[in-house]
Amino acid sequence: MAVQIEFAELSPTLSGQTPPRRGRSLYLFAVYGILLLAVAVSMLPFLYVISSSLKDSVALFSYPPEWFPAQPTLDNYRSLLTDYPFLRWTLNSLIVATSVTLIKIVIDSMAGYAFAKMSFPGKDPLFLVVLMTLMVPFAATLIPLFIIVRDLKLTNTYLGLILPALANPIGIFMMRQFIESLPGDLENAARLDGCSDWQIFTRVILPLMRPGLVVLGVFLFMNQWTSYLWPLVIGTKQEMFTLTVGVQSLRALFSVDWGVLSAGAVLSMLPLVLVFIFLQRYFIAGSIAGALKE
Amino acid sequence: MGEVSLIQVSKQYAGGSAAVDAVSLTIPDHEFLVLLGPSGCGKSTLLKMIAGLEEVTNGEIYIDGKLVNYVKPGDRNVAMVFQNYALYPHMTVQENIAFPLKMTGVSKGEIATRVAQAAQALGLETLLQRRPEQLSGGQRQRVALGRAIVREPGVFLMDEPLSNLDAQLRVQTREELMRLHARLQRTTIYVTHDQIEAMTMGDRIVVMRGGVVQQVGPPQQVYDAPANTFVAAFLGSPRINLLAGALQRSGDAVHLHTGDLVLPLAGNLASLATGAASTEIALGIRPENIRVLLHAGDARPDHLVLPATVSLVEPVGSDLFISAEANSVAFTARAEPHLPVSRGDQVLLELDMRRVHLFGPDSVNLAMSRA
Repeated sequence: MAVQIEFAELSPTLSGQTPPRRGRSLYLFAVYGILLLAVAVSMLPFLYVISSSLKDSVALFSYPPEWFPAQPTLDNYRSLLTDYPFLRWTLNSLIVATSVTLIKIVIDSMAGYAFAKMSFPGKDPLFLVVLMTLMVPFAATLIPLFIIVRDLKLTNTYLGLILPALANPIGIFMMRQFIESLPGDLENAARLDGCSDWQIFTRVILPLMRPGLVVLGVFLFMNQWTSYLWPLVIGTKQEMFTLTVGVQSLRALFSVDWGVLSAGAVLSMLPLVLVFIFLQRYFIAGSIAGALKE
Repeated sequence: MGEVSLIQVSKQYAGGSAAVDAVSLTIPDHEFLVLLGPSGCGKSTLLKMIAGLEEVTNGEIYIDGKLVNYVKPGDRNVAMVFQNYALYPHMTVQENIAFPLKMTGVSKGEIATRVAQAAQALGLETLLQRRPEQLSGGQRQRVALGRAIVREPGVFLMDEPLSNLDAQLRVQTREELMRLHARLQRTTIYVTHDQIEAMTMGDRIVVMRGGVVQQVGPPQQVYDAPANTFVAAFLGSPRINLLAGALQRSGDAVHLHTGDLVLPLAGNLASLATGAASTEIALGIRPENIRVLLHAGDARPDHLVLPATVSLVEPVGSDLFISAEANSVAFTARAEPHLPVSRGDQVLLELDMRRVHLFGPDSVNLAMSRA
């Protein structure tokens, strides 16, 4: 049903003057054909990685390649979990991504509220500065940031992984936009009802921000889970690797165990897949918000 | 309990002109005062200053004799009903009404009692567990009222509370508001741009324009004796006929020349007119003070009769609004609904000259400026 409505919106010819039945089904056939093709193309690498993770080293290099291994094996997973500190990496990723997400939700919602609704001297220039930091590419700040974190003796620590990620202003921007869209009279009503600024924020604004907070949370978690460059720079000890760095480290210098690497890739995808299944709606909104960053 | 005094209250926005300019008013306890004016006249800004939501640039606001310029909105003993209701979307009706009590630390037991009373007074008992999104516009309006009355404030502030309702509901809610005011007897300051609301609800109305008070008084008095052309034109539908012209005196007779029309002014009008500082004046006559006659014999003595051609007939059911031109000067008259006239007909306009207003060059009503 929903698909039909979307078609009506997309194609005025369909909703306006109903084309002959045959034309319409041909059109749908073509559209679904193209969509299925696109799904197949984007799914193939995933399927191939999953398939590879279930193959032994012989099957991996057999020609022609097998899509469905004749003798699937879990050896790669076993090896991954016993020969490498994979669980530790997962824990690291969880700790870092969760901390960053929770702390930033608090900071960003409060800063967003201040920028959206409160008036204080220097508000606009300050917001401009916040926005300007968005425009500096991370690569440009990588080395100075590393020197600072190293001098603070935070390399190979959770703090070293978490703190720099907190300075990302995208969430402040997102929250400000979201809060600005809330009607101003709500705040006025709350003020007349005897609320202080803090009470307005916690009792009126925050509950109304829930959808925005979930979008922000999903976006931050996803971003942090897949973050690679900074964890790579800051973590030199294997036990402080995050999943992305850890999985990448499975590529040895001269040989690559593609089976184990694939198993690592599959397992590190799992949490994101779960997040996606439960929070699909917000996930998509989060990805659109992410488009701002690029 | 709820006397509000404004002394030379002004609001100046940074880099802008004055939104409210030196407004002085005293609103006695229990009064229903209506702030009336076109959008942008400063009436809502004035209301928000009384509420404490806008800072006062100059002047003083007293509530019950206490200077409140620097008192927080929640501590002013006022409650406000907003145009868009401003109900908290994440709370049920019950929670919405209870919220101000909760914020001021009223005990749970008393909150329950007072919410129940307010809900009963407004017929909201069955809706208490709903959320605002599940309510109709009229129901939301009642919840907003409930949230205001539950606090038992000294002063109610209402910012165009009916403007988001459809016409029928607006009339109904208007009556409810008046009943509520009669029962609660609380000072109410009511902002609207709707002259019908102002006329029907206000003990007194304040007509504002460009941040400046134009006239204050009981509605009928303001209607009958408008202080200037703005007030005269803003109140009344269809609009008052305003004819700008020049005075000419010949012997004892005084005439107003407007367009190609010459209107004789007699008695009181003549002395008023000759007392004016300039010969440039405007004559105002409301449509209901012009009778449309089909036969010259129907004319009453002491009334001015002008032959005219009908240019537009607008039946509104209860009345017939007739636009007609006399010597290419346009008049609008209110006639009884079944008068057999149509466009192009020749009629007679009978002007009740006792009900005519004369306005000086500064647009001020001459009768009032002399008084």
